[in-house]
Amino acid sequence: MKKQLTRILTVTLISAIAWSCNQSDPAPKGTYVQGVFVINEGNFSQNNGNISFLAREKNIADSDIFSIVNGSSLKGGMQGYTVAGDHGIILVDNSDPGLDKVEIVDANLFTSTGSIGAPDVENPREVVAIGSNKAYVTNWGTLNSNSTYPTGYVAVIDLATKKVIKKIDTDKGPENMVLYNEKVFVGDYAYSGGKNLTVINTASDAVTRSISFSAAPNPIGIDANGKLWVEAGLELIRLNPDTYEKESSIKISTDVSKSAGNFAMSPDLRTIYFVLSDFTRGETYKFQITDTAVNLAAPFAKRAFTGLAVDPRQGLIYAGVTPSYTQSGYAIRYRADGTLVDSVKVGIAPTGFYFR
Amino acid sequence: MSGLKVQKIDSVTIEQFRFRNIADLLSLNTPVIFKNYGPGQLSTVAFRGTSSNHTAVLWNGLNINLPTLGQTDFSTIPVAGFDQLSVQYGSSASIVGTDAVGGSILLSSSKPEAGLQVMIGRQQESFRNSQTQATIKFGTRLNSTWNFSGKTAAYDGNMNNRYRHPERNGDAISPSTTFQKGLVQDLFFSNNKHELSAHVWLTDNKLTNNPENLAGRQMTRIKSYRTMLRYEIEGWTVRTSWIRDIIDYAIGDYSTLDHAVTDRYGIRGERTFEWKVGKSGSTIQMQTGGEFTHYKTQVENYERPVITENRGDFFILTRWQTTSRLLISANLRQALVTGYNPPFTPSLGAEYRLIQNLPYSIKLKGSVGRSYRVPTLNERYWKDLGNPNIKPENGFNKEAGAEAGYVLNKIHSFTANLTAYHNWIDNWTYWNPTNNFRVENLQMVIARGAEMQFGWKGNWEYWKFAGMLNYALTSTSQEKTFDAYASDIVGKQLPHIPLHTGNVTMFMQYKNFRLTNQLQIISKRYTTADHSQSVPAYMLENLIIETNFNRPHFRASLQGRVNNVSNTFYQTINGNPMPGRSFAISLLLSAKTIR
Repeated sequence: MKKQLTRILTVTLISAIAWSCNQSDPAPKGTYVQGVFVINEGNFSQNNGNISFLAREKNIADSDIFSIVNGSSLKGGMQGYTVAGDHGIILVDNSDPGLDKVEIVDANLFTSTGSIGAPDVENPREVVAIGSNKAYVTNWGTLNSNSTYPTGYVAVIDLATKKVIKKIDTDKGPENMVLYNEKVFVGDYAYSGGKNLTVINTASDAVTRSISFSAAPNPIGIDANGKLWVEAGLELIRLNPDTYEKESSIKISTDVSKSAGNFAMSPDLRTIYFVLSDFTRGETYKFQITDTAVNLAAPFAKRAFTGLAVDPRQGLIYAGVTPSYTQSGYAIRYRADGTLVDSVKVGIAPTGFYFR
Repeated sequence: MSGLKVQKIDSVTIEQFRFRNIADLLSLNTPVIFKNYGPGQLSTVAFRGTSSNHTAVLWNGLNINLPTLGQTDFSTIPVAGFDQLSVQYGSSASIVGTDAVGGSILLSSSKPEAGLQVMIGRQQESFRNSQTQATIKFGTRLNSTWNFSGKTAAYDGNMNNRYRHPERNGDAISPSTTFQKGLVQDLFFSNNKHELSAHVWLTDNKLTNNPENLAGRQMTRIKSYRTMLRYEIEGWTVRTSWIRDIIDYAIGDYSTLDHAVTDRYGIRGERTFEWKVGKSGSTIQMQTGGEFTHYKTQVENYERPVITENRGDFFILTRWQTTSRLLISANLRQALVTGYNPPFTPSLGAEYRLIQNLPYSIKLKGSVGRSYRVPTLNERYWKDLGNPNIKPENGFNKEAGAEAGYVLNKIHSFTANLTAYHNWIDNWTYWNPTNNFRVENLQMVIARGAEMQFGWKGNWEYWKFAGMLNYALTSTSQEKTFDAYASDIVGKQLPHIPLHTGNVTMFMQYKNFRLTNQLQIISKRYTTADHSQSVPAYMLENLIIETNFNRPHFRASLQGRVNNVSNTFYQTINGNPMPGRSFAISLLLSAKTIR
């Protein structure tokens, strides 16, 4: 009896300590605190993109978590998702002009907390968090009538007021962004005609430099040695992000019918994965940042993917498969050695992953 | 052809839909499904579970599907553009030719009666939409043997779609405007042996999506010039035709248009024979002939700036009335296309009058036939994505049915119709996303189903009542596994095609007043091929009240209509909401000479 009482007291005491710890340093609560968010682009004309959620230890994903939580769908194609502080930022591209938006949710609960639409947001492409209260969103703007690209912009979002506080003009078709110290490197979409990497200072929200390339630059990330990798026209260029000097370059392939995309960095920032394809078929490769060439004879996977990312927590490679735009896609998980873990059914056209 | 189900839309219904679109008429009176992108916007057909490429649309016997797309946008065809409308169910490729895989929509002009008739009408609708029509018909005797008659009709429709509530359930109704103009001209010269007729139908349909958004607005303008000359003499028929379809498309700035022009020059000759077999009254009728069409197309995104091709068809159609009860028909058609030949398409049909004594009548029908679809010009010639060696789709359709009539007494009469079909379509083309959207003959589809129609009429002295119910069960699915992920879609109902559809039209009439109630019921539809997404079932109801004022020389008809009475929420094919309840009022005035 006494023993039992002691046990009860101990448990109570531990709980009390845990509770008090909780009080002083509250861990975030919610269904979506930890896990993998799959960005399913959807079929453009049907405006049916969504975000699936996958707990790392499971192999069944919850589809369209925004609808589950908020009772209505996002109504557009999904272009990106990231988290800044407690804010989840979703990029929604509707097939109708003027209906694109940035939807802001509570990152832990996925409840909608606000939305920013036209004219601040038009053809949003990618999002990057700048600290916990600011985000940059690349926007193509409305394409010209002959389908060419106008000068695009980065919309600076203040997450406290949920407003676009500034539009920073970039090159044509701004797309991927890489954050490094107080700088954001903004690349261009491969078919946009833009050939300049725009550097924006995140304190002043102003362009400080524009670095020209022979083809549309696609910034990949900062490696273990603090160097920025940029792909431009089947060439991998290592750039010093402080001096902007192009230090070295690797030709991926001389086959101009192919294009390289879906670059992803390993958690140790020493390996870069990418897909090389001619749209019909392709392969997925990896190379080390110290390599002088990409070994095309030994692909990581003998197939192409519509999305590729590496989970920084577990190091698993997540690859998106799009069988068609009228059926669910799959997220295939690989280990770093290329062995298959499993395949998880997700939404239509998985093109990106966010790990939390 | 015997054994096939043909539904002729009666003139009262055509009159009632005079200011509306053909898609409205068909979806409320037949089991034909339309995939609509919004009011006045693209409306494509799904007939008996097939694709929008599988319905032939014929104007006075001539296929008017756009050859680039291989389909018709039914939003561009107002009921004001034709006099008669029939729906031919199932494959009738041996008679019609390409595209008649799921069914055919037959539009035709009728020869005006003697005298002069002038009509003018206007419909005013909610959302600042309106349509104006004017028609002149005449018929006169030129001399002791020749008659001359004709019709000139013009229509002008404006859909501004200014919704008072631009949102429904929190979703924006996609803004659009549609301006539609048309001119119809028919001329007939005839005597007891010869008939020469000329037919012209010019249409101009301009759709703008998001008109207020100057950078993002999107304009699609389809202009069609359709002309035909027909000559008939003692069993011979010769027809020449020219159709030009122009599609202009632009986003934002309209100064440079994406311009596509396709011309079709056609000639067709046909000879009809008739023989009596023995003395039993048995007759054999045979129609034999050929058709030749030259295509010339200029589309910016095609592999060559100007592409021409020739298509020919030879056919023999026979009808054998063996006894007064049994009719058998056998048809053969071979089409020839530049570069390759579609399959030989025979068909066989029969009709048997099981009971033909009043008050009952029962007729049994059955047919089997092959069908084909010549690939569209887009599928063959689109730069990089098209495939000049794409094979024609080919199908095999089987169906059986029964038609029954029962006249209870002078007041009540009943009709019923039941048909079951099985339609197998192979080499179904697919713009394969895993092959950079190149077109391939990947799919095999089986569409099967049943259609039921039940009608009742009650005619008292001043009162008239009627009800017509249509129900269709459509089960249609892709059956061929062409890649590892096709297993997620094989055997599942094709997207956007409801398993159950039905419509009910009921009216009550007292003297000159008629109240009509139209119901349309559509079951749940999957919006993706693997059934991961769907839209719910819905029911739409319209109410129409009509009256008319008749004098020997003059007639006025007034119609008031409430669309979507219950304000049902339903969606377009791309997920946007359709408008809620709306109203329309129309007045038609006509004056005519009396003989």
